[in-house]
Amino acid sequence: MNRFRSMLIIFFFGLVTTQISATEDKFQFDSTEKNALFLELTKELRCPKCQNQNIADSDAMIAVDLKRKVYELLQQDYDKEQVIVFMKKRYGDFVYYQPPVNPMTIWLWLLPVLFIFIALGGIVISRKRQAPEISQEQLDKAQAILEREQ
Amino acid sequence: MLAELGNFALVLALMMGILLSIYPMWGAYKNHTKMMAMAKPLAIGMFVFTAFAYGCLTHGFITDDFSLTYVANTSNSTLPLYYKITAVWGGHEGSFLLWVLIFSMWTVAVALFSKAIPLKMVARVLSILGMVGIGFYLFMLLTSNPFDRLLPFFPIDGKDLNPLLQDFGMIIHPPMLYMGYVGFSVAFAFALAALISGQLDSTWARWSRPWTIAAWSFLTAGVALGSWWAYYELGWGGWWFWDPVENASFMPWLIGTALIHSLAVTEKRKVFKSWTVLLAISAFSLSLLGTFLVRSGVLVSVHSFASDPSRGLFILGLLVVIIGGSLGLYAYRAPQLKATGRYQLFSREVLLIGNNVFLTAATLVVLLGTLLPLVHKELGMGSISIGAPFFNQMFTYLIMPFVLFMGIGPLTRWKSQSPQALYKQLLLAFALSISAGVLINASFEQSSYMAAFGLVMSFWIIVATIMEIQQRIQPQLTSGKSTILQSLQKLTPSHWGMVFGHLGFAVTLIGIALVSAYNVERNVRMTIGDSVSLQGYEFVFKDVSNYTGPNYTADVGHVDVYQNSKKVAQLSAEKRFYPVQRNVMTEAGIDSGLTRDLFVALGEQLKNGDWSVRIYVKPFINWIWLGAFIMAFGGILSISDKRYRMTKMAKKPHTNKTPSPVLKEQVS
Amino acid sequence: MKKIAVYLIPLALFLGLIIFLYQGLFSNPREHQSSLLEQPMPEFVLPDLMNIEKTYTQDVFLGEVTLLNVWGVWCITCAIELPYLKQLQGEGKHIVGLYFDQDMDPDFGIKTVARVQQEVTDKLNQLGNPYAFNIFDVKRDLSLDLGVTGAPETYLIDQQGKIRLHHIGDMNARVWSGKFAPVYDELIAQ
Repeated sequence: MNRFRSMLIIFFFGLVTTQISATEDKFQFDSTEKNALFLELTKELRCPKCQNQNIADSDAMIAVDLKRKVYELLQQDYDKEQVIVFMKKRYGDFVYYQPPVNPMTIWLWLLPVLFIFIALGGIVISRKRQAPEISQEQLDKAQAILEREQ
Repeated sequence: MLAELGNFALVLALMMGILLSIYPMWGAYKNHTKMMAMAKPLAIGMFVFTAFAYGCLTHGFITDDFSLTYVANTSNSTLPLYYKITAVWGGHEGSFLLWVLIFSMWTVAVALFSKAIPLKMVARVLSILGMVGIGFYLFMLLTSNPFDRLLPFFPIDGKDLNPLLQDFGMIIHPPMLYMGYVGFSVAFAFALAALISGQLDSTWARWSRPWTIAAWSFLTAGVALGSWWAYYELGWGGWWFWDPVENASFMPWLIGTALIHSLAVTEKRKVFKSWTVLLAISAFSLSLLGTFLVRSGVLVSVHSFASDPSRGLFILGLLVVIIGGSLGLYAYRAPQLKATGRYQLFSREVLLIGNNVFLTAATLVVLLGTLLPLVHKELGMGSISIGAPFFNQMFTYLIMPFVLFMGIGPLTRWKSQSPQALYKQLLLAFALSISAGVLINASFEQSSYMAAFGLVMSFWIIVATIMEIQQRIQPQLTSGKSTILQSLQKLTPSHWGMVFGHLGFAVTLIGIALVSAYNVERNVRMTIGDSVSLQGYEFVFKDVSNYTGPNYTADVGHVDVYQNSKKVAQLSAEKRFYPVQRNVMTEAGIDSGLTRDLFVALGEQLKNGDWSVRIYVKPFINWIWLGAFIMAFGGILSISDKRYRMTKMAKKPHTNKTPSPVLKEQVS
Repeated sequence: MKKIAVYLIPLALFLGLIIFLYQGLFSNPREHQSSLLEQPMPEFVLPDLMNIEKTYTQDVFLGEVTLLNVWGVWCITCAIELPYLKQLQGEGKHIVGLYFDQDMDPDFGIKTVARVQQEVTDKLNQLGNPYAFNIFDVKRDLSLDLGVTGAPETYLIDQQGKIRLHHIGDMNARVWSGKFAPVYDELIAQ
């Protein structure tokens, strides 16, 4: 099929042209918003093969491929959510550093919040249950004990 | 031969630990002074033997004794001498020996510097440290012995120290971190000793305060050094990655921070005792949990040790015994801990404890975020990742009430504070911090709301801290007794410690806010002679030269930076190749400054000779670590306070308003 | 008594945590399930590695149980598993290669197709050729759609062209009998 051959040629030719011009950003965008979104996404997507790195930081082949994919998708006017859905479909929830919300992960947010409310509530309640202020009578008694010991 | 002696010394240290855990405790129980007095020589013995073993291992490294498995795995004959010495803690076994050495140092320090504390208490504290020590020494001897030999066939040369660790930051980072982790064992031991003795007044809080603050200061420095190291050594431009290993050091820090504040409340006001005890147990428990996470391989991390389930199992057992045992004792004794002080809802007590709540919630966030992926997967729900987006979001919310309380806390009185009396001051502080934050933020192009927000919070702390000092010295100034300088000098070191601690936090916060919002980066391909402009700086890629180091070869990219046609920096970014481990390392070229870092990292070389280069301009990033060191300095300042060097028990009797704790128990 | 219960909470939480940590010790944290299981093969149009003129689509997997093996000559572990794959092929399994090349990377430079073909021929002549044919994933697009993280990886695709298994790492007797054989035998029996 000739279509394929031409595809390959375009692919390689495209490579050659990008390599001639120098001091270009590896991934060039026509808008600063897209560029910012690209930086954001590559910092929040996890390299599936690496130890624990986002794809921006990793030079592994898979990370490079994913970066290029993010770039392509953004060029096709995907928004952030769409890129994430695209990646999750292929690499699972694992690929995105923000966990999905499900009955298990909801505790990530609930537990700290519950803890804060219960603890602050506990402080208020325990204050109400405080022992009464030491009376003069008790102080006198204490003084008496002190003197007796001496 | 020396290695065998080292091994033997470790066994002897273990023996000392066993005796230490029995005799003084028994003595304290039986009221036997001589048995209690055994604690000191035993602690010294444990330290001396451990130090000797440590020396033996170091000797093995210096003399390239590759018959030792550990040396063969972590060193190489071409390694420079200073790295050979620090390679001792470059792997699992040796770093655990360092851990144990530091542990014995803390133990011996407690034994030597506790003259003011009753013998019984010291005996119990040291016994508990001895028990913890048994676990550590057994772990090392049974699963991670650095003195194991590769006999009869041993390699001619070693596998070399991981190049990531061949770095100055790595020389000081682990010892500092371990000083912090292990240091919390002292606070832990004091809390447990108090629980065991049933002497549940708050004197233990006073005794353990300097130790806890010392450990916290080391941990603060250790965490900061780790972050700094990651910044310049990993070459990704980041300074915190929410990696499990980082989280493992951050959790004890958060709880430790809560603990030093809670100890202050418990000591001064005799309230929240059971909470403080729980924090003291938690701080050390989280240190141990961190050790487990780093050394067992249950989590995926950039920098964990080689994993081994048998080691993991042993540490897990250790966790069950130490943490489980102490929490069990806590459940048994804590109901008897009664608050004796009284306070109103608006008081320094409540603000301090309120911030404890936020710090603990933050710890919970980190703990959940670190461990939930594991639980999620074990329950068959699939793999998830929890990283920066989640943590950043949660910390952004948590820090708001935290900073609010942090500013008000020092301004309020103990027991009760009338809101009217503070109202004007707080309003002024609020107005000042908002105007300062917003104005400074406006000086940045494309100013961000988040940065403004961070700046306002930082200035809130700074303004409140200054107001607090002013509040303190005002009476003396108005009475005309002393000048400003004189009255400042009258403030105690521990007060200054608090001031520096809080200011340091504000400085760190400024750094975080500004670098998060205004960091700019470009990822470009460059040929020699190319230039790139970023944030008003012109980066010129001058040339790439070859360099041969002691145990590596490197391509060194030279980048000159111009601002307004004036050269402001010469950076050399290296791509090093370490032949022994066949490892490529990036050494970023950084020009550090108070207001910005210029950061260049060399990427891979492309086929046509171009280089892929990452360039960052990072405003105020150094403030993050500067702030941390100010905090640690504050901690050290606190410990130097005279009140912690009590030579006699009851040197300063309490004022007659509050009867002494013993008395009160008889009264009520 | 009620009071003690409150103070027991930390201990209870801790013990609960220990259970998961214990389980965690015995599972590999780097292993995770593919999200493409039970999904049809992604759509693609890709050439044959040895004959660029010829192209395949996802329909090529219809009607036959297939092992799709992701590999490359640059991958060391792939060379290790080739003899075992050859053995599987000898037992009558239909194995298709999904080939991609590291050096066909826009960031690293270009290699001619002829050179890639030569390398592959050399490698397969040396170690044996288990593949019915190789699909050439030129830009690694299909690999990305399949959630490939590297090489080697192996997929089991059923007669309807649905992905049934995804294995990361090398194929060997243990993986075959433990993970693949049960599913494979069931599919063949249908």
